[in-house]
Amino acid sequence: MQAQLPQRTLLSFALSVLFLSMARATRGCSNSSQQLLSQLQSQANITGDTRSLLEPYVRLQNLNPSTLREGCHRQPAAFPSEDALRALSKPHFLSTVYVTLGRVRHQLGTLRQQFVKTQDFPELERARQNTQGIRNNVYCLARLLHHPLETPEPTQAEPTRPSRPTTTTPSIFQAKIDSCRFLWGYHRFMGSVGRVLREWGDGSSRSRRHSPLRARRKGARRNRPSASSRSPAPRVQVPR
Amino acid sequence: MQPQGEVKTIFQKSGQERSDAILRRESKLALGGQRTQLIHSRGAEPPPHAGTDVLTRGPARPKTGRAPEQVARRIVRPMALSAVLHQAFLLAVLFLRASQSEVLGESFQLTPAGLTVSLQPKLQQVNLQWTAAGLTHQEVNGVFQIEISRIKKSNIIWVENYNATVKQNQTLHWHWKSDIPLECVTHFVRIRAMVDDVRYPPQSSWSSWSPWREVREHVSVKPDTLLIYPEKKLFEEGSNVTICLMYGQNMNNVSCKLQEEPIHGEQLDSHVSLMKLNNVAFLSSTGTNINCQVMRGTKKTFGDVLFVSKVLEEPKNFSCETQDFKTLKCSWEPGVDTALAWSQQHSQSYTLYESFSGRRELSNHRNSHNWQITEKSQETYNFTLTTENNLRKRSVNLIFNLTHRVHPKAPQDVTIETISATKANMTWKVQTYGDKYTLLCQVELQHEGEVIYEHNVSVHMSANQLLSDLEPDTKYKARVRCAGANRFWKWSDWAQETFSTPEAAPSQPLDVWRQVWPENGTNAVALFWKPLSNSQANGKIKFYNIVVENQDKPTKPEHYSIRAPSTVIKLNLDRRPYKINITANNSAGASPESVMVISNDSGHEEVWEKRIHGTKDGFRISWEPVSGDALGYVVDWCEHSRGQYCNLQWEKLGPNITSTIITSDTFEPGVRYDFRVFELSMQQNARLIERQTGYTQELAPLENPNVEIKNLTSNSFVLSWQNYSSDSQPGFIKGYSVYLKSKELQCHQNWERHLLPGDSVLCIYDINDPEKKTLTVENLQPESLYEFLVTPYNSAGQGPNETFTKVRTTDERSFMLLQIILPMTFCVLLLITLCYWKSQWVKETCFPDIPNPYKSSILSLIKSKKSPHLIMSVKDCIPDILEVINKAEGSKTQCVDSGKLHTEDAPTKSLSMPPEKDSSGPVPCVFFENFTYDQTAFDSVSRGLIPEPLKDIPHQLGLLATPDKLLNVLEKDYMKSLVESPTEETSLIYVSQLASPICGDKDRLATNPSLPVHCSQYKRQMAVPGSLIPPSLKENNSLTSTILLGQDEQ
Repeated sequence: MQAQLPQRTLLSFALSVLFLSMARATRGCSNSSQQLLSQLQSQANITGDTRSLLEPYVRLQNLNPSTLREGCHRQPAAFPSEDALRALSKPHFLSTVYVTLGRVRHQLGTLRQQFVKTQDFPELERARQNTQGIRNNVYCLARLLHHPLETPEPTQAEPTRPSRPTTTTPSIFQAKIDSCRFLWGYHRFMGSVGRVLREWGDGSSRSRRHSPLRARRKGARRNRPSASSRSPAPRVQVPR
Repeated sequence: MQPQGEVKTIFQKSGQERSDAILRRESKLALGGQRTQLIHSRGAEPPPHAGTDVLTRGPARPKTGRAPEQVARRIVRPMALSAVLHQAFLLAVLFLRASQSEVLGESFQLTPAGLTVSLQPKLQQVNLQWTAAGLTHQEVNGVFQIEISRIKKSNIIWVENYNATVKQNQTLHWHWKSDIPLECVTHFVRIRAMVDDVRYPPQSSWSSWSPWREVREHVSVKPDTLLIYPEKKLFEEGSNVTICLMYGQNMNNVSCKLQEEPIHGEQLDSHVSLMKLNNVAFLSSTGTNINCQVMRGTKKTFGDVLFVSKVLEEPKNFSCETQDFKTLKCSWEPGVDTALAWSQQHSQSYTLYESFSGRRELSNHRNSHNWQITEKSQETYNFTLTTENNLRKRSVNLIFNLTHRVHPKAPQDVTIETISATKANMTWKVQTYGDKYTLLCQVELQHEGEVIYEHNVSVHMSANQLLSDLEPDTKYKARVRCAGANRFWKWSDWAQETFSTPEAAPSQPLDVWRQVWPENGTNAVALFWKPLSNSQANGKIKFYNIVVENQDKPTKPEHYSIRAPSTVIKLNLDRRPYKINITANNSAGASPESVMVISNDSGHEEVWEKRIHGTKDGFRISWEPVSGDALGYVVDWCEHSRGQYCNLQWEKLGPNITSTIITSDTFEPGVRYDFRVFELSMQQNARLIERQTGYTQELAPLENPNVEIKNLTSNSFVLSWQNYSSDSQPGFIKGYSVYLKSKELQCHQNWERHLLPGDSVLCIYDINDPEKKTLTVENLQPESLYEFLVTPYNSAGQGPNETFTKVRTTDERSFMLLQIILPMTFCVLLLITLCYWKSQWVKETCFPDIPNPYKSSILSLIKSKKSPHLIMSVKDCIPDILEVINKAEGSKTQCVDSGKLHTEDAPTKSLSMPPEKDSSGPVPCVFFENFTYDQTAFDSVSRGLIPEPLKDIPHQLGLLATPDKLLNVLEKDYMKSLVESPTEETSLIYVSQLASPICGDKDRLATNPSLPVHCSQYKRQMAVPGSLIPPSLKENNSLTSTILLGQDEQ
């Protein structure tokens, strides 16, 4: 654990630098789709690392025993699978990521009550900010590509947690496991997003029709986007 | 929570019929009731022994690993004898009551009615409500007995008597906490009552039992589900916890872990098992996880979170104080935070309750609270600080008088005004607390962090303090703090101010001393003075004034000004008495004068130097007073090696002192210090009376002398080290040790002999005079190798061990030879020099050039005649000279082929020799000598040696009658022959040099044929200038034949 500390520090530093530039981008979107794409890839790679959130959570909630860890990984929470993400069109993909991260951000907020003080789990607040940053970049990329953040069709989510056997409110133990699964699913989801975005950059598995550059050129011939499309709040539905 | 004031009572019970028990009330409850708990076993499972029930406090606490029923059973212990006695006692009491009832009035029956049972599963608590039926009086004291069974009605695990004052239509409450989660097992409850009031006749017996009420928190367990209880229940660290597992139909073989530690359960029935954890520990604020795995069936993870709270601590060091009589600031040490995550428990709260005012305030901070003083008339406060969490409540109390808890604010407006260089006035203000309240202020003066002054001042509103005895030009820090004068509670914070006093003129004269030495006919005077200390300088010394006055004749004094921090000045004064005044000056003025007098003979005193021995503490210097009216003495000292430019130190002493100990941090071992003692006259004239020198600690010499070897002979040599400086050594040199080492050495007298390994002998000679720096080593063997070492020694030891120097004595014979060879060599060299100087002469004399035949004039003659014969005829030759050595002329003619010519022409008379006695002795020899270049030949002409034939050829030689003419001709011929000869030189036979005596001396051959004849010689020919030929040498020409003859005779 001690050996991981410098790595975590490094990770935090990288995230800070990355999201600092991203915060600047929030105020005004970058005009370079390549830059946005690159940033998103980096952000997805970093947030896909379980050391940024899941591992501290496991440590703080005493979920270290192997049986409990297995419980975290056995049944991931409801996040679109990588195949499902890859099958989406670019606009749909961006919308899905945007909406999913909105849900993640909300869910991360609820995790705060699991601790006495927010200072006990500083990674949580950092993760919330990062999530918002990624969402902003997704929004900017969608706007740059002239793909309004459309309402995504519900992706085929993996089975959700089992229903409570006796009571409507889950036990704390189950809530711990559920939160752990949720975080694991979040990291996995971000990893998938990063890989899909990398394919975009490579252009290997995407059609020419979806090339960001081409889309940008096409977009230049279109009319200016409406005020609603420029708004950071997309008209999307959260996948359930 | 169990009510307070419970009583432990023992009563008797027998078989299934329980005797009535009269319970003595000892304290009232908040509800007006009192509970007495009875745990016993009855019904279907009678106790193994009839005996006594035990009243215990709080819920039953079964032992680990035992079912509750068993625990209850274990607690009820029969005590036969005491039971009998107890029963008798109770019967007696009942009898008395019956009698009393008869006296007081009609008895009535108290019966519980409307029993309602409710559950609080999270607290594992059973709540009972009921009313009292049949109550005919306004108020009556009664006792209610409650029984609780577990699993089945006959398994009674709890019996408690609850005493209460019952009013009409009043609902009574009672609760009980189960150690087992209520979800896991079914409990049964029933109640009965009895009047227990002295005002009324005692009730003859208990009322009838209420019907059993079943108590259970119903949960449905699905076939593939495992439920773990309690859920979200809070425990305190150190408590014992019972965990209950409820299995579904398809669940079996379940193993559970507390974090990573396995825990084992006890099966309660087919679907319920209990796990007991004793003395649970706090692990984390996020709870301790219990996770269970089903070995067969579902692979789901089941679990529970156990929230264990730290034990709430009592606040410590609770105190309150005020600064302004408006707010009381109360503070305390809160102890550990017992907050738990998942909102299970917040941090403990802190509440302040003041009993006199009845105010209660919840603190927003964990360790302090500001209590507003609303009632100014209130002087006494009684505070109760209560901290509370979900499990526990703790309180501390504090009562105090407000005026005793005044913590004043720091004084304000502190000002310091410097009155002079040594005085300052300090003023400050304090917060007023009314006319009656006075503060005590503490004033402190600090210099360089050290408190030098402290004073207490009683202050009402403002105050001032005079700070005196200050040092000029000094930085101070003055500070003040205050506290209640009537009743000390706490000092306020310090209020401080720094200030500096102004400068003043230096208070002390300079400590001056001098060094005088003659220099170019004048007195060089170096004046030294010690810088004034800060307390003496009273400011920053800027310069020093020096005034020099001639005391012999009134002249204008000379003024010098030296900038600080210099502490020395050099003056050149003539040899007259001078008076020197020196002052130190700062911005405020000058110091008192220091006077120094230089007399005529200052620096010229001659005093014998005495050696002293110091210690590590210093030197003890003592002296004899010279005059009786000395003003004082001065001892100065310096490093010996530094001379007059040393860092002169001195110490001035009083007139009655004749010895002192000089100490200095700068004294070092091995360094020689020179001390001088001066006597100061009344006129400030210093007279040298003592010179001493020494070391604090002598060290062994650092270096050995460089020894020269002198006068090396075959049996002695001299060692000399005159250049060795013994004064520069780290100790007084006492002498020298001379080590001489050799094989088979015989040590001389006064030498110490030591045998060394390897047949070597070491002789040591001690020179105990440090000034003696030569030694003659004698009685040595010639041509022998000796090694020596000379090392100095002092009281600390001797010099370093260095390698010996080798020396070899000379050979005696060679010495003698040297005495001969040297003069001879000198003579030879002189001779060679002379020869070289006269080389030309020697060459001409001893090594004349060999005549070149080609230069001969004969060649020219031959050439002129162009004779076909190579052999030259005698006629063709012009003989230079013909010398007849032998008288036997006849034989001579036979010697040469053309002897006739020779015999005829040869002047026999000139070379006639006296006849020999022995005719056979001398062998006639003929010498042909070419005098072509012989000057003597010309000389011979004058003596008649020139042969006649020269006259016969005047055409050739007529001009050669004189030697000069002859020489010219010959030279001419010679040069000519050089030109003409090369073509004919191979055919030239030079025959003028030799005549064989053998062929012509027949007589001699006949008479003495056996003797070899060596009578003929080639006579060297040299061209020697006639003038250089000594007469003797000329005479030798005739003598030569004589010597040769003589030789032949031999």
